[in-house]
Formats: sequence, structure tokens, C-alpha cells
Amino acid sequence: MAVKKWKLEKSASCYNCGDATIHDVEVDEYSIKIRCRDCGFSRYYTFHMVDLPVKSDTDDEK
Amino acid sequence: MKVHLRVFVEVENLGKAMNALTDAGITGFYLLEYKGMSPQDWKGFSIKEDPKSAISLIRDYANDAMLICCVVEEEKTDEIVESVMKAMEGEKYTILEVPIRRIIVNYKAEDKERAETWLLEKEVPCFYCGEKAVQRIRIDLNKAKIWCTNCGAARYYLIKGVEKEEK
Repeated sequence: MAVKKWKLEKSASCYNCGDATIHDVEVDEYSIKIRCRDCGFSRYYTFHMVDLPVKSDTDDEK
Repeated sequence: MKVHLRVFVEVENLGKAMNALTDAGITGFYLLEYKGMSPQDWKGFSIKEDPKSAISLIRDYANDAMLICCVVEEEKTDEIVESVMKAMEGEKYTILEVPIRRIIVNYKAEDKERAETWLLEKEVPCFYCGEKAVQRIRIDLNKAKIWCTNCGAARYYLIKGVEKEEK
């Protein structure tokens, strides 16, 4: 199931400039981007793995 | 030079010793609670070597005591020790003065302090169970996790890189 890109915001101290700023958080199916609105410093995360719960009707499927 | 001052006192005299040290101007300290036996009590003892006997000996015979440790300037040591001796007159105590060759203090890196975990939420249909439920997002400095509060399905992400924009 395709995941629509989420756009979120987070107030936090920037890892780069150290100021308390707003960070734009973009969550996509295979990536996450976090960008400081003040200094533009961005962090990129890439999809690593998925952990699915066992469904009761398909116990062999994980 | 600095001196590591160690004051061994009985538990009931801790307050008295601490007050004397504070009045004499120590700037910091740490305490250790211990059980111990002085040489005169220990003399002539021989214990069975099984762990049970050794532990029961400590429980039954060793005294509850406190060790107060502080680091002081060498020139202030005599004054501090005299203050403790005066306050503790007639009580049981031991004082050790150990010269310090070097002190290395490492402070927590600023980057580490900033690297706090972020927690975010978004209510959307889950990619796995399809239910509209709160999806929790945890972002650490080097990894991230998104999971559904309904079914528990989780996606994990790892840091790929960073980018600095030119101003």
C-alpha cells in the first residue's frame, strides 16, 4: 500500500545552528527529510526495514 | 597540588563530619556507604571460606560506616582536617590524605545534549492494517521509526546523510 507523503513540523534546537527553530519533517514511504527552517541544514533518512505484526488469520505471514 | 581527602566515620557521625567539612570550605564531595571492620576488631579472626560464612560475618560483625571524599587544595588541607578533628573529638574516625597527580574531567559533548529524540504523531490510514489510526514517529539522530498504534506495524529508517545549504 502506497504511503502518501506526510508533512509535519517540529520545534526543536537545530543540530547544526543550535537555535530553537521549526523543522519541516517530510515522511515518505522510503525516505524522511528533516530541514531546519532557519539555517537550511537537512538530515536524510532512508528506509531500512519493516516489522509487521502477525495477523491472526494468516499466522504464517509476517 | 590537590589532595583527595577521605574521611571514614561511623554512620551516626555523618552529619557532624559533613558540617565540619562544609564549615572548613569544601566545595564538593561524594559519599560511600560501606561495612567495615577496623584492624583491632579484625585481629585474630579467621573465617570459613564458603560464601555464606563470609557474608554472614559481614552482616554480623562489620560496622555500618560512611566514607566522605572530597578534593581539596593542598594548602587548605590542614585547616579542613583540623576542623574535622575538632568536631569529631572523642568519636571514631579515620582520615586519609592522598596526593593527586592529575585530574582529568570530561564534560558531556554539546552535540550529544542536543541529540534528543523527537516524537511526532500523524493520524492517517496505516500502510499495513489500513485503519485510520495514530502513527507515531520517533526520530533519533541516526535512525527513525514509524509505527501504527492500532496494529503495531513498524517501518525503520537509517540516516543516509546530511546537507548544509550555502547561505
